[in-house]
Amino acid sequence: MASLDHIEALTKVVLNNLEYQHDWTRIHQHTQDTLPRSLIYGLPPKRLYVHPDEQIDIIKAEKELGERIPQEPEVEWVLPLHLSEKWSPAQFAAVFDAIEAIPPGGADLEPTEEDGSEEEWRLWRGSKRGKRILLATVQDDSTVTYYWIFDGLVKPRQN
Amino acid sequence: MAAPAERQVRISRVAGRYLVFDIDDVVHIRRHYGICAVLTGTMPQNPTQNLFLGLPIELHAEEARLLVDKGAGYIADELTDHLSQLSVMDASTRKAYLQHLKQQRRNAQQVFDEEKAKVQAKHQGKRKAKPAAVTETTAAVTETEEDTSLFDTPKPPSTTLTTTTPKEPSLPGVTPTTSAPLIPSPTPPSPAVGIPRPANYPLYNYLNARGYYTTPGLRFGGDYSVYPGDPFRYHAHYLANSYGWDVEVAMLDLVASGRLGTAVKKSFLFGAEKPVEEGSGADGGGEGGGGGEVRVFCIEWAGM
Repeated sequence: MASLDHIEALTKVVLNNLEYQHDWTRIHQHTQDTLPRSLIYGLPPKRLYVHPDEQIDIIKAEKELGERIPQEPEVEWVLPLHLSEKWSPAQFAAVFDAIEAIPPGGADLEPTEEDGSEEEWRLWRGSKRGKRILLATVQDDSTVTYYWIFDGLVKPRQN
Repeated sequence: MAAPAERQVRISRVAGRYLVFDIDDVVHIRRHYGICAVLTGTMPQNPTQNLFLGLPIELHAEEARLLVDKGAGYIADELTDHLSQLSVMDASTRKAYLQHLKQQRRNAQQVFDEEKAKVQAKHQGKRKAKPAAVTETTAAVTETEEDTSLFDTPKPPSTTLTTTTPKEPSLPGVTPTTSAPLIPSPTPPSPAVGIPRPANYPLYNYLNARGYYTTPGLRFGGDYSVYPGDPFRYHAHYLANSYGWDVEVAMLDLVASGRLGTAVKKSFLFGAEKPVEEGSGADGGGEGGGGGEVRVFCIEWAGM
């Protein structure tokens, strides 16, 4: 694995990229003993991921309500990586085992006290949310590309 | 996928490949075990055919292993099986087989005769239809026919042929394409032939246990294309790769596969089996058939 300096630099590149290119807010670096390196979490300007089944639930709910349901962004995990790195399934498993599905402070943003908070489509933001991490892959020219990695079988989105 | 336990699928191992020749078995494993496998049979006259293939189907080693582990099939090493069965045959079986060959040749002759009769009937029909339409040409044709007959030597062969036709017509030669009539009732070999556990087996078993169907994934650069049901009814959800638990995978491979998957509306799935820890006692769920827990991860482009 790369040296600590390298990882710090990598994290910084991703932090800056998220903040200035993708307009993320509330970005924090998250360090934990059980993690092989620091993770980042933050709030994107718009919602990044909707599970296909959640999408179906939302459409059903919208049809019933007769109006569009605004989709607030969710706090997401980010794992900074360099493109030349090599990761084994064991390492990914270790990262997933060390984190919670919802990053710290992520649950506070959810309006849980409203009426009908137990509606089917809302559960995807809480109890039904699976573990997912954004892989921020940094290249030497400081290009950062983002990929979702999910824990377990997660069916693809209908894009 | 509740499976009736009675049926034992014969998986023929020929030159290290696992083949199933019985169409009923093929239907059975597809319906009850979610195994599609690949049709590989070509016509003898067209060995370069690569479309519309037929029996036999070829199984992956992990598919064959799965059937054996579930008690739904057995492996038969066809080379040793044939040799041992052929060496114990007596004169009566030999006679029966020769009789069977003769019957096949008779059937072939019958088919030829029928074809011939059909063609002749067709031609006669044409000749009858022609004179009414174009009389001049028919006249010309008859003239030329007469001409040629003038210069030709008389045709004795037609008469001699009919007279010298033997009592028993010479039957066409037939090349047997299977040894099924030679070994009429295939039985499971004893002792049972073992099958090694392929490296992909844990991931394959994990997917199969969850009702997923797989087809070879080479066209998307993976080990499998994974379908949520029968491939006749669904598009693939994943392209899947199996890795070792501690095998380091280049990020570029993950990114490339993830991107490819997203481009074809799939997710890139990779999985590995966690080795069973020493002294853990439990069998780790037994998901991989005696192995440890299988972890899978899916990668998709994030769209940002």
